[in-house]
Amino acid sequence: MSILDKLYEKAKQNPQKVAFPEATNEKMMQAAFETGRDGYIIPVLVGDAAEIKKLIAERGYDESVFTIVDINEETYKNELIAKYVALPDTRLKEKALNRRMADPLYYAMVMQKVDEADVTFAGIDNTTGDVLLAGQMIIGLKEGISTISSIGLCDIPGYEGSEGSLLAIGDSAVCTNPNPEQLASIAISACDTVASLLDWEPRCAMVCYSTLGSGQGELIDKVTEALKIANERRPDLAIDGEFQLDAAIVPAVAAKKVKRESKVAGKANVVIWPDLNVGNVSVKLIQQFGKADAYGPMLQGFNKVVCDCSRGAPVSEIKGNVVISAVRAAGSKKL
Amino acid sequence: MDRKELEAKVLELVAACYKKDVATLSVDTTFKEDLAGASVQMVALVSEIENELDATVMLADASGCTTVGDLVDLVEEEL
Repeated sequence: MSILDKLYEKAKQNPQKVAFPEATNEKMMQAAFETGRDGYIIPVLVGDAAEIKKLIAERGYDESVFTIVDINEETYKNELIAKYVALPDTRLKEKALNRRMADPLYYAMVMQKVDEADVTFAGIDNTTGDVLLAGQMIIGLKEGISTISSIGLCDIPGYEGSEGSLLAIGDSAVCTNPNPEQLASIAISACDTVASLLDWEPRCAMVCYSTLGSGQGELIDKVTEALKIANERRPDLAIDGEFQLDAAIVPAVAAKKVKRESKVAGKANVVIWPDLNVGNVSVKLIQQFGKADAYGPMLQGFNKVVCDCSRGAPVSEIKGNVVISAVRAAGSKKL
Repeated sequence: MDRKELEAKVLELVAACYKKDVATLSVDTTFKEDLAGASVQMVALVSEIENELDATVMLADASGCTTVGDLVDLVEEEL
C-alpha cells in the first residue's frame, strides 16, 4: 500500500470539513464531489449558492454530497463576522472583513478561523499569492513562527531510511532566502507538519555543506544560528545539525562524522535545506535520479491548515492534496 | 483628510506594524533598507490601512513601494 493509499484510509476514519471557495471550477467541484462521495471528507462549497446549484445539476452530481454555503446570505455571514471579531489577535475589523468576505476565499477562511471548517482548499483560480495573503490576513501565523514555508513528502524507491522509503524535505517551494529566524521557523513547522500528517516522531536535520564545524563560512553560520533558535524555541523537538545530507540520513556516515550524542544524525526523517536554491534543486534531483514521487508542497506555519494547489493540477492530484490536508487538520487537533 | 493628515496616519500605522518609534520615521523611510521587515509585517500594515482608513490596497502594490511616501500615494489613490 502506497503512502497516499494509507493517507486516504486515514482520512476516511475521521472525515474533516473542507471548504472549497473555488467551488464553481469544474476540476475543483469534481475533486470535492469524489472525495466527499467516497467518505474521505465533508465538502463545503462556498460561493453564490444559486450558481453552485445550477452547476451541480448541469454536471450531474448528487447535491446531497455537498454542504452549500451562500456568501450572499446575510444572517450566517453576520454570525461568522461576530465570532471572528471576538477572537483575540485577528487582523481585520468588522467593516473591512465584511468587504473582504464578498470574496469566497476570504469567506471560507473566516469559516475555518471560527471552526466552521477544518481546511480551506484553493489555488486553482486564485494565485499562490492570493491564497498566502488571505491565509496570513485571516488565519494568521502560529505563535513563534515568522514565515510561511512548505514541506514535501518524498517516496523514494530503494531508499531505506528511518521511515522506510519516505523522507520529508523542506522548504523547496516557498521561502526563498530564509534568515536564521525564518530557517528555525521552517524546521519547527516541518516537525509539527509530519507529526500531524504521519504520526511520526520528528527527527529533523538542518543540512548544509558542513558537519559539526567541518566547514566554515557565513552559509554555515546561518544554519548553526537557526539551529540554536529552533532548539531554544522548541526544546521538545529533536532538531539537530549542522549536518551534511549523508551524515543526516546514513547511520554509517553519522557514526564517522558525528562524534557526539544525537537523536537525529543518521536517522533523520525530516531534512531542512538552507535555502530555496538548495531545496528546489534537491527535490528535482530526488525526482529525476531517485525516481521518487514527491507529494506537496504542503503549506505550513499558519494557525490552521491552508492548502494551495497548482493551477494546472489534474483532478487526481487535487484529490490527493485535499486528502493530505484533511489528515493534517485531523492530526493537528491532537497535537 | 488632507495629505498631511494622511501621511501622519500612515506613519502611525507603519510604526505600529514594524514596532518602531514614529518619531524615527518619515515619508522618506524605505521599507527595504530602513525597516527591513518581513512580508508578514506588510500584511499587517495592509490590514491596518484597510481597518483604519477604509482603503483596500493590494499587497503586491504595497510591497512594490520603496518609501512610506510611495505607500501614502497608493492609499491616496484608493480613498
